[in-house]
Amino acid sequence: MTLPILFACLAGVLVGVSRQVNGRLSLSTSPLIASFWNHIVGFVALSILGLSIGGLIPEGAADAPWHAYLGGSIGVVFVAAGSWLIARIGAVNTALLVIGGQMVSGVALDLLQGVSAGLLASVLGVALILAGMALTQRRR
Amino acid sequence: MTTPSAPRLNPLHLLAAFGTGGLLTLMVHFNGELGRYGNALFSSWAAHGTGTVAALLLLAVLYPWRARNAGAKPHAPLWAYLGGISGAITVMLTSFAVNSPLALSGTLALGLAGQVIFSIVADRWGLFGLPMRRPDRRDLAAMVLILAGSALIILFGRGNA
Repeated sequence: MTLPILFACLAGVLVGVSRQVNGRLSLSTSPLIASFWNHIVGFVALSILGLSIGGLIPEGAADAPWHAYLGGSIGVVFVAAGSWLIARIGAVNTALLVIGGQMVSGVALDLLQGVSAGLLASVLGVALILAGMALTQRRR
Repeated sequence: MTTPSAPRLNPLHLLAAFGTGGLLTLMVHFNGELGRYGNALFSSWAAHGTGTVAALLLLAVLYPWRARNAGAKPHAPLWAYLGGISGAITVMLTSFAVNSPLALSGTLALGLAGQVIFSIVADRWGLFGLPMRRPDRRDLAAMVLILAGSALIILFGRGNA
């Protein structure tokens, strides 16, 4: 059980590392160019991994609907936006606001899809996140 | 490049960051769907591949505008090009953790903790050549609220009730 916990924490750390590194690259180039390098380097790394362990292109892949392939293009904008923001509002603010936005939009997506499990906790969570955001924004 | 007393943040930047979180939800949604047809490795590989093409197309479309705004910028060190390696490792760690007793909610909650702790250290010492920032008490209070709300949603809200 220790290993999964360690891996899950490390995954979060690496999300921060890549945003920091891409942010640094965008200072010397541009956020979109940083996002391009992030994707092509990740693509090469995952290609090498997939070719060495096998199973890179599984059988079911051809059956996936076209919209399932939209994630990559959204990711380009996501990485570019993160690189642009981190140089302006810092790592903590970027991380917290992106997490907040992910949580609130996730609850909205659930509601749109008719999933209402854990609604009370979700609504309370959204309220806390919005209160936190309002606090960041109050005049000092 | 130090900002001892952080200046008031631009509300548009905060809104942009919040909206970026919405993009992340969509991305995770689509990539998760692709992963169900294939597997986690394929989903991330395909997303990086289509993303590379999409970035090239966007760069081509925006080229005239960029060329006008090009100015002298500091040289980037080689490591700055390697952010994608970190992303690729994240995929493997996450798919391992999700399939352990931690499940999705535990993986998300611990990942969130790791991300926030790293970001505090990164801001404090200006890691990887970005500006240093020190949080004030109000920033810390905002952090507690946002993290508490996120933990509520991850552990007791979305799909975990």
